[in-house]
Amino acid sequence: MNTAVETMQREFVAIVGASHVVSEPAACSALSVDGKAPQCVVYPASAADVTAVLRCAAELGLAVIPCRNGTKLGTGNPPRRYDVALSLKDMNRVWHYEPDDLTVTVEPGMKFGDFQHFVGRQGLWLPLDPPGGARASLGGIVATNATGPLRLYYGAPRDMVLGMKIATVEGKVVKAGGRVVKNVAGYDIAKLLIGSYGTLGVIVETSFKLFPLPAGRETFVMPTGTLSIARDLRRRILHSPLTPLRMVLLNPSAAELTLAGTPLERPVKEPEIWLEMAGSPRVLERCHGELEGLAKAAGAPLQRLASADAENVWTGISDLQSWLPGRSPGVVILRALLPDAASEELLSRAEQEAENDKALLAGFAQLGVGVLHFCLLSEAATPAVLGLIRRLRGAAESLGGVLIVERCHWDIKDRVDAWGSPGDDFAVMKKVKETWDPKGTLSPGRFLGRA
Amino acid sequence: MKPRPLVRELTRLLGPDAVLWRTEDVMLYEYDGLSVTAPPEAVVLPSTTEHVVGIVKLAAREGVPVVARGAGTGLSGGSVAMEGGIVIGFARMKRIIEIDIENLRARVQPGVVNMDLTLAVGDQGCYFAPDPSSQKACTIGGNVAENAGGPHTLAYGVTTNHILGLEVVLPDGEIIHTGARFWDRPGYDLTGFVVGSEGTLGIVTEITARLSRKPEAVKTLLAIYDDVLDAPRTVAAITARRITPAALEMMDGFTLRAVEAAFHAGFPMDSAAVLLIEVEGLRETVEDDADQIEAICQENHAREVRRAKSAEERDLLWRGRKNAFGALGRISPNYYVQDGVIPRTRLPEMLGFIGQVGQKYQLRIGNIFHAGDGNLHPLLMFDARDKDQTVRVTKAAGEIMAKCVEMGGSLTGEHGVGIEKRDLMPLIFSADDLEMMQKLKAVFNPRGTLNPAKLLPTTKMCGEIRVQISTGGVL
Repeated sequence: MNTAVETMQREFVAIVGASHVVSEPAACSALSVDGKAPQCVVYPASAADVTAVLRCAAELGLAVIPCRNGTKLGTGNPPRRYDVALSLKDMNRVWHYEPDDLTVTVEPGMKFGDFQHFVGRQGLWLPLDPPGGARASLGGIVATNATGPLRLYYGAPRDMVLGMKIATVEGKVVKAGGRVVKNVAGYDIAKLLIGSYGTLGVIVETSFKLFPLPAGRETFVMPTGTLSIARDLRRRILHSPLTPLRMVLLNPSAAELTLAGTPLERPVKEPEIWLEMAGSPRVLERCHGELEGLAKAAGAPLQRLASADAENVWTGISDLQSWLPGRSPGVVILRALLPDAASEELLSRAEQEAENDKALLAGFAQLGVGVLHFCLLSEAATPAVLGLIRRLRGAAESLGGVLIVERCHWDIKDRVDAWGSPGDDFAVMKKVKETWDPKGTLSPGRFLGRA
Repeated sequence: MKPRPLVRELTRLLGPDAVLWRTEDVMLYEYDGLSVTAPPEAVVLPSTTEHVVGIVKLAAREGVPVVARGAGTGLSGGSVAMEGGIVIGFARMKRIIEIDIENLRARVQPGVVNMDLTLAVGDQGCYFAPDPSSQKACTIGGNVAENAGGPHTLAYGVTTNHILGLEVVLPDGEIIHTGARFWDRPGYDLTGFVVGSEGTLGIVTEITARLSRKPEAVKTLLAIYDDVLDAPRTVAAITARRITPAALEMMDGFTLRAVEAAFHAGFPMDSAAVLLIEVEGLRETVEDDADQIEAICQENHAREVRRAKSAEERDLLWRGRKNAFGALGRISPNYYVQDGVIPRTRLPEMLGFIGQVGQKYQLRIGNIFHAGDGNLHPLLMFDARDKDQTVRVTKAAGEIMAKCVEMGGSLTGEHGVGIEKRDLMPLIFSADDLEMMQKLKAVFNPRGTLNPAKLLPTTKMCGEIRVQISTGGVL
């Protein structure tokens, strides 16, 4: 072991104790990012630990990546440097919980599944279905503004965070926002951290606004024949009085993959719209009737699903990243963001592009939201995949959107920017980054513009 | 009176009809909804983003402050030119550039009046959700600057939840485009940071807003109480029963008598408080929710629960609520409106406390609350000509604010910090917090020439709460 590594470990042990610094290769490689493993994993137990570790790392010129279960570590450009994984696993306390105010303040390491269970006992939830699902941490969800199809009705972490505390590389804890549901005192610093992918500071506490669990939920499926029928249906549904909680369009490969291994497994030949409605039995009956009418007008049959079966499918759709790589090891996952009305058009172009390359593409479109996931399933040689990614990015951009490479082998990432090109506000973003993290301690090279 | 060189240059840039500089002209721009006044050197009325760039560059060269102004309805002094300089009035940049119903988007210039956007998309079944009480006058640019709220933010969120992207002119004249026409463009959420920054980071010249779909059904309930504390108890019970109305407003007896005298909206003159409750959604949902809410009101001793029977009745009730400040203006020469926020479960306690403060300082205090989200607007009546009353109002307001902070709340829910609360910021933010805000401000506005003396404290505060007293807005 070289001296620099020894110094670093000694310093961290002095802060968090020997049992909270781990340098075993297995532990380190479990948190490797794009082929780079950290020298050690540090497990802080408090905000004070985090600030001390960050300050120390900054002084030693080390690079730190904050994480928990690593469900989103694959997203982003390859780190320029990576010395320390800062695992927030041990920080999972609830600081403040007022169910009747619908507010809660928690540490970042708490797992989303545990959290939902905890607040669910009082009939509440944080209405998100993020990638990583139950295993995702609250800190990671906030730091990546992670959402799934539920965004249609409920919005994003951006809309649910009331305030936070952030550990800075200067060794300070900065408070943003507060604990009450409405608050415009001071700059909205929390917005900068939400979606910053661990590049500005480390979130050590977040206050959320909670929501009542819906009375009942039901899922409906509509096979749509073609994408243009799907577009027509999407318009009719979103322009009707109905307010779906979530609504997705799956191409046949996506539907078949998602259903495989569930009780609903079946061959799928046409695009399908899946949507979930909520309310009392009376409301759900009404929704059923309305959807039946809309489906009939479009010539699509309507299927109503038992909620337990459907829940599994929804989990599969919103958390592709957890199960897809297991089944298809070389899978490339792309996320396109664009004005929602062009969703079907982009899906259609993506299918065409993939077909030209004889590649298999599973497409998941979150309707009403403007988010599409493309999963490239076939094991193609790197240059071919690169070409396809670039053409798909071109298609997304020509429809007024962007395309993010969410998961792929790191040799591809070296040649295609994970985030795409920055805009004319990038100079300001760089200054924001320098303000928080002047030495490039946090996740260097990972974010937009390889900043 | 001869125009000064700065005015001459501005005139060259914009033409003579777009520059005001005579004392009697700029006087109209020296105040907003807060009482503090400061005359600008010149007021300019640009028509394009290029005009704004020209103005800002000129100001930078001359080292002159620049303050953006919408309709001047703000209640915290956000548009007052505290250090003089140039006020940019957006009255001529009021074009709705694009409406895209399928994507539920609108692109507007900052001078568009909030209500005008809602009216423009109304016949297509849409509206712009943030609905401050001043929505017939206030501009979307102003809403963005202050992160404005309104009664219906309870269910739909405040301005920031409805803004996707901005065109911003920085103090050096550079134009940047933050956000996009879709959510989550990669990079830092500069849109979210600029919304609510009270004109201290950049001049917003174009806004991409999200539109919302009108619900199928709306029901408006008026619950009438004989004991004022039963109203906030009902609010807590509704929240605890996991019902989220679209709006949940409270007015106390004092306020609603003033409102009734002014607007004849049908509020009962002899009651101690009313709740104005609105539920929206599918017909069936609305019926269920309204029934449940009515039952909760009864459990909490409502004397009567009325339902608006027509759109006219509903509009009348809302007109009363939205013009309540104005109604109080009829019965007192001045009033000071606060904007504190507390956890909603503590509303009954807070209402009791405000009553005690009123007694202690011998003041009439009207209470109008966005009760559903714990946002309080106590209105302290006084006569600014009476020094002693003014002192008592200052002290009373300070005590109420301190109580909000003690309860874990905030200084402002929707009116902004501005001049009014800048020196109270240390009550809820540490020196480190404020230093970070200062550093981030410097990223955008390094010389502090954009809307100087706002939002951040000017002095280190030493314990005593001093509030800037407003003499009453024109809402």
